[in-house]
Amino acid sequence: MSPRRSLFPALLFVGFLTATLQADTRPAPPPLPESQAAVKRVEPPLHPQIDQLIEAATPNFRKIAAPLCSDAEFFRRAHLDLTGSVPTGEETRAFLADQTPTQEKRAALIELLLASPRYARRMQYVLDEMIMERRAGSNVPDAEWQNWLRSSIRENRRWDAVVAEILAADGAEDAKRPAAKFYLDRDFEVDVVTRDVGRIFLGVDLECAQCHDHPSIDGYLQRHYYGISAFLKRSYVFTDAKSKKKMLGEKAEGDVKFTSVFTSVEGMTNPRLLDLPQIPDPDGVERAYLVKPESKARGIPQYSRRLQLPLSMISDENVDFRRNIVNRLWAVMMGRGLVEPLDVRHADNPATHPEVLSLLADELLRHEYDVRWLIRELALTKTYQRGRAAGDSNDEAHSYAGAYLKALSPEQLAWSVMDVTGVSTQTLAAKKAELLKKDPKSGEAKTADPLWQEETLHDALKANVDQFVTTFAGQGGQKTGFDSSADQALFLLNGALIQKWLVPANGNLTDRLRKLEASAEFAEELYMSVLNRAPGDEEVAAVTSYLEAVSDRDAATQELTWALMTSAEFRFNH
Amino acid sequence: MRRDTGCHRIDHALSRRGFLAGTAAGAAAMGGVLTPAQADQLQSGQKRLLQVFLQGGFSQFETFDPKPGTKYGGPFRQIETSVPGMMICELLPHMATRMHKLSIIRSINLRTNDHGKGRLFMEKGRNVGEFPYVGSVAAKYLAPPNPTLPTYLHITTRGLSDNTNAFLEAQHAQMKLPGTKAPDNLARPDKLTVEAARRRADFRAQLNERFSGGKGQSAFTETFDSSFEMAERLMSQKGLLEAEPSGKDLERYGSHPFGRRCVLARNLLQNGATVVKVTHHGYDTHAENFNFHLEQLGEFDQTFCMLLDDIEATGMLDSTLIMVYSEFGRTPKINQRYGRDHWGASVSMALGGAGIKPGVTVGATNKEGTEVSDREVDAGHLFHTYFSALGIDPTADHNVPGKSIPIGDPAKSSIKELLV
Repeated sequence: MSPRRSLFPALLFVGFLTATLQADTRPAPPPLPESQAAVKRVEPPLHPQIDQLIEAATPNFRKIAAPLCSDAEFFRRAHLDLTGSVPTGEETRAFLADQTPTQEKRAALIELLLASPRYARRMQYVLDEMIMERRAGSNVPDAEWQNWLRSSIRENRRWDAVVAEILAADGAEDAKRPAAKFYLDRDFEVDVVTRDVGRIFLGVDLECAQCHDHPSIDGYLQRHYYGISAFLKRSYVFTDAKSKKKMLGEKAEGDVKFTSVFTSVEGMTNPRLLDLPQIPDPDGVERAYLVKPESKARGIPQYSRRLQLPLSMISDENVDFRRNIVNRLWAVMMGRGLVEPLDVRHADNPATHPEVLSLLADELLRHEYDVRWLIRELALTKTYQRGRAAGDSNDEAHSYAGAYLKALSPEQLAWSVMDVTGVSTQTLAAKKAELLKKDPKSGEAKTADPLWQEETLHDALKANVDQFVTTFAGQGGQKTGFDSSADQALFLLNGALIQKWLVPANGNLTDRLRKLEASAEFAEELYMSVLNRAPGDEEVAAVTSYLEAVSDRDAATQELTWALMTSAEFRFNH
Repeated sequence: MRRDTGCHRIDHALSRRGFLAGTAAGAAAMGGVLTPAQADQLQSGQKRLLQVFLQGGFSQFETFDPKPGTKYGGPFRQIETSVPGMMICELLPHMATRMHKLSIIRSINLRTNDHGKGRLFMEKGRNVGEFPYVGSVAAKYLAPPNPTLPTYLHITTRGLSDNTNAFLEAQHAQMKLPGTKAPDNLARPDKLTVEAARRRADFRAQLNERFSGGKGQSAFTETFDSSFEMAERLMSQKGLLEAEPSGKDLERYGSHPFGRRCVLARNLLQNGATVVKVTHHGYDTHAENFNFHLEQLGEFDQTFCMLLDDIEATGMLDSTLIMVYSEFGRTPKINQRYGRDHWGASVSMALGGAGIKPGVTVGATNKEGTEVSDREVDAGHLFHTYFSALGIDPTADHNVPGKSIPIGDPAKSSIKELLV
């Protein structure tokens, strides 16, 4: 039983759930200026407002809008988006049989999934891809970074606090070193970091503005680029002689000047985020050090320009910061950004639904950068819960009249395949038995803990997930398109992992299937387990004739399971 | 394929350009049927594209546009070539003896100094917008109806995930081969019989048809399907992809990675590949431009010439368009680190093979090589020229139902003096 499995019956205990959610700790951000005092009052939920704006944006919306998706579709969709894998056939049947009214039933499911340890893992994957963009780099060990990210998500820390910690990190202090991965595993190359601060946290790609005002995008100016660069330019990578660890030092001097290669006009700037005011240095701090930079001493200035970056980034004036994250989280849930590409927001490439973008950004601020709250509200919208878009034109898809296909991420695909074939269940059972044998006293309680289950299973199967990531992850960060290469198909066609997992053994999927003699039963179990829906009559007939035509039952079972698991219906979240 | 008529009948296409194989593939997809005679006609007209991409931006001074003895000329001499009067840099001695088979363009102005932008312009022939790469367009219109290999192969160790096919079918997207290592998982699992593999694939195809039938975003599902088709093709060419170059090949081409890649490129072209791009990395010479070009071109020159010789020896030169190009050139000004920086204002490249008049020099730069002085062209003109040379009318529309999208930028035209 995977951790999610044991959670499902909890759907009945709504009271328990409510308690869990209220107990949700929201520690204050580190010593950085607080956003304004939180506005706490009863107000209408966000999700109907989103639906209203989406509907109002397209004149004939009601006519073209797809109806809400079926419960089966919703069940699979929400599991993938919120916990990063598909549900079991058993869970699916229970959800379909539950007679609770649809909206109530779906809302309860969303709560349940958000409370699962798998939610934290799923968001860890999402944020890692968003922030580290599948870069290799080992100045900060990956596991430390991932654990830090995941615990931040589990505690539901404010997004502004998380980003502030990342941008304030210098890697010198062990406890705060994980957050320094953003800088240190870009080797703190100022041009790379400047561009990525713009792209990843502000949603603007200023690369071309490095050498001149952007030739085709009016809003991207060279001073924008150098304004960000000025926060960073005085910092440098310092290697500690004893620990050999890399960390950031900073000088107390150095200004940023730039010249356009087109106009030869010179400019100079202090630290500045886009069109916010420049941040002047306080008087008398030039060349003033707490620790003077030397070959064996990490420079620490009295006044740090770099530490102004987190402050400026999360200040309430910085609307771009909130617009960026809501657009990115919207894309995670809806399959495309309100602004596409996600890092090219400017006047000539506005959001398809600017009112929605503004509403989400405003409300996220009022809700103290509560990411889990935003994900919940998005999942509750009709926009999220619609059936698949019917037409093929991009315009229709961009109206959100129907749900957009989302390709499973490498991690979603890995876990889905392992959960479906039974690898997860078998591995967890073995790990449980191992612990119970070692520690019969407290083992029972430990192995029943969903958090223990999730982490144990993850650690045991991580090498498999890594293989999927190597094969299926394209270069670069979060994006919403879909590409599929021949080597990915070869992995699914011939790869050793998939072949191994299809071999019937110890009650795994193919073992269960081969024992089902009636082909209708076989088809039902197969479709429920792999695609989370009942087969249609034609599909039962097709399975039946396949089983009749192939005399080797084991072979037929493996072939059919393979076909479903490599089908487009499985490859996408729909 | 006239503009905007929505009429893509096979007889129109054949009468326009009798050998346009890809149109037959399109027609087949639309339910048209080819007669054996037409098929033969298409077969005999099979054309190919070979792209040799020198990644990072090679220096025009140290290659096709030498300016010895001038302010920015650098230390190298120029040498005579097999074309009277055509001089190139001494770093290309093997090419110099073969220039009567190739032509050069010295007057390309790309108006960008950015790697990404320069590359996209050179590949798409347009500097803005979502358009397919040269390779995808060539793959679509040149590939035979049942290709034995993925239609657009790129041998490279670094992969940029570009949307190379844009609005064209996913089967014509670039497929990367990682250096000269054969892709993993090429062999069918031992326990899976050929028949079992076929029937499970058929069942999978049925499922996919049900899933995509009449529903949205068919581009996603088509991309997914086509990756499986490409995988099947690669499996059928396992021997070719895994073959170790012979001792003689390594001696001629060089045993370095670029040499091996070019042997593979030759083998792919000889075995039915339609478009092959092979990348030679490492021309971004911000420091030590001269030493780097000495080294890089030392590898490139002989290896490329062996590939050229073999293509000619197997009778494919007349039907294979060959491009040697970068994303831009390098600055006239030599920086403090003896480097040359990014430069898009006066760029050179070489072309040869199918449809290209050999021994021609197009355009010129001024005395010090700081700007184009004659016959300025850009990647848009080049794009037109490639397709004119391959017998595909670049002013015609793409064969994409319901849309009117000209193959080449309508504001540009072919470089006529290069065409046979």
